[in-house]
Amino acid sequence: MIKHLGVVGAGTMGTAIAQVAALSKIDVALYDINGTLLRQALERIKGEFKRGVESGRLSQETTTEAFTRIHPRTRLSDLNSCEVAIEAVIEDLRVKRDLFKHLEADAKPMTVLASTTSTLSITAIASATRHPERVVGAHFFSPATDSKLVEVVQGQQTSDEAVRLIIELVQQLGKTSIVVKDAPGYIVNRISQAFFGEALKLLGENVACVEEIDRIVSLEGGFATGPFEMMDQHGLDICLSTTQSIFDQSFGDPRYRPHPILKRMVESGMLGKKSGQGFQAYGENK
Amino acid sequence: MGSAKRTKKQLTVSKKPSKLRRARVYIVGESPMVEEYAELCGAHGFEVFVEWNEQPQMIPTFTALTIKRARTIPSEISLALELTNTDLDRKRKNIQNLDRALPHTSAIVSSSVIVTATEQASWINHRNRLIGMSALPTLIQKPLVEVAPTVFSPKETIEVVQLFFRSVGKELTLVQDRVGMVFPRILCQVINEASFALQEQITTPQDLDTALKLGAGYPQGPVEWADRIGMKQVYAVLSALQQDLQEDRYRISPLLTQLARGGAWWKHAQRNLQERQER
Repeated sequence: MIKHLGVVGAGTMGTAIAQVAALSKIDVALYDINGTLLRQALERIKGEFKRGVESGRLSQETTTEAFTRIHPRTRLSDLNSCEVAIEAVIEDLRVKRDLFKHLEADAKPMTVLASTTSTLSITAIASATRHPERVVGAHFFSPATDSKLVEVVQGQQTSDEAVRLIIELVQQLGKTSIVVKDAPGYIVNRISQAFFGEALKLLGENVACVEEIDRIVSLEGGFATGPFEMMDQHGLDICLSTTQSIFDQSFGDPRYRPHPILKRMVESGMLGKKSGQGFQAYGENK
Repeated sequence: MGSAKRTKKQLTVSKKPSKLRRARVYIVGESPMVEEYAELCGAHGFEVFVEWNEQPQMIPTFTALTIKRARTIPSEISLALELTNTDLDRKRKNIQNLDRALPHTSAIVSSSVIVTATEQASWINHRNRLIGMSALPTLIQKPLVEVAPTVFSPKETIEVVQLFFRSVGKELTLVQDRVGMVFPRILCQVINEASFALQEQITTPQDLDTALKLGAGYPQGPVEWADRIGMKQVYAVLSALQQDLQEDRYRISPLLTQLARGGAWWKHAQRNLQERQER
């Protein structure tokens, strides 16, 4: 059983993980270098708990107790008593490698260091540390509060024990883990780029329009939403950067080549739902 | 058509028809699609005649009494379905037989996931009667069918085919006449990528399915989907795409090729592998 979890990064992902962990009766040290972001994160969690109580999903007692388990921290060394430290900082290899070097310096020898990276190589991150066997990937899906899946990524030198500990943590959080090898895209992003990529190819070849492809995939395939609507929800910039990352990491395998349509849309600022315009129009753009 | 007298058993289309009535349908092709479509048509009151390219190991017992096997094409067939995806030569023979045997007014609706409907129409004399459709095992359980008119398809043929699908409770959408069509193409490419990932042992087949269902909202995992459709069907679509588009993107996973050629299914492959590992 994990009793103490460290979360590095009080952005959307880090905050969500802290929230879920606290509700799962785990003590959470939530760290961010930026004190303002940390305060905002705590306010967001408070707001989520309040909404949970109002909707009847959570009891007041549960949320009050959970909130007391979240401890804001401004020094990395404050995480040294944690059995697991998860980073949820920006998706930049150099930043993550630096962070892990510092985390390792202060952490207990047995602390497992996990990264929530969705596109970077765990092996590459781990090689910045003296003990790469304790570095593992824990790829949560957005929103981490609701999504049931976590990909547990075993790097080239990650020990089975580190993997086992993250599997245990994921179980405590009420989620399902699958273990994957450290390869571009892991599983979900890799297969998803085939799904989205083929939809984009069909659009580019004028086989059918956006609305028709979405309708066909939903009604003929049984999906809740079609590929273009899904991409709009994820954010077209995220879809493009994920595909680009898989393409680069596979040394230009043509199966993963990003589609020009997606690139042009991102270049024009059409990022999907969050920008009000993607493959469909949203909000006041409708 | 002209002034030819119509008998009661021929296609009757009222002035503003919403469904086909008392029509005879002939279905030829591969198992299990022949059975799936036969049951669907039988359940909606059609008189159905079926024949398989290869006799199934066990001839199914159909629910509807109006479904019969017919080794030769009966007379007065209103509409024929050709459901072959894995044998292009056999498909061609079936289409040509249908064209010779059927009344000129009868439509041929043929699976066009491995060869375009336009190319199929070029095999026969009465080109305007053939229309393509998306057909893979189990897809007919869903409410929508893709239909691809050819460059020869007149409005009347499209309308009859629309009537037919409406009569069996399906919505229809018209798409460009292209190999793979829309959903079969996307699905088979997903299964192909899943096969590459499994070949590289990125994860286990069960975990791959779990990942896509929980992490990406798939209604079925790619591995279980492949097992339901059949690897030979998936391989046929991918081969056709590779040939049609000539892009490296469509190269087929060696593992998928091996399973398709060996007639194996994931669940059997998994079980055998597990048994060997336990010994």
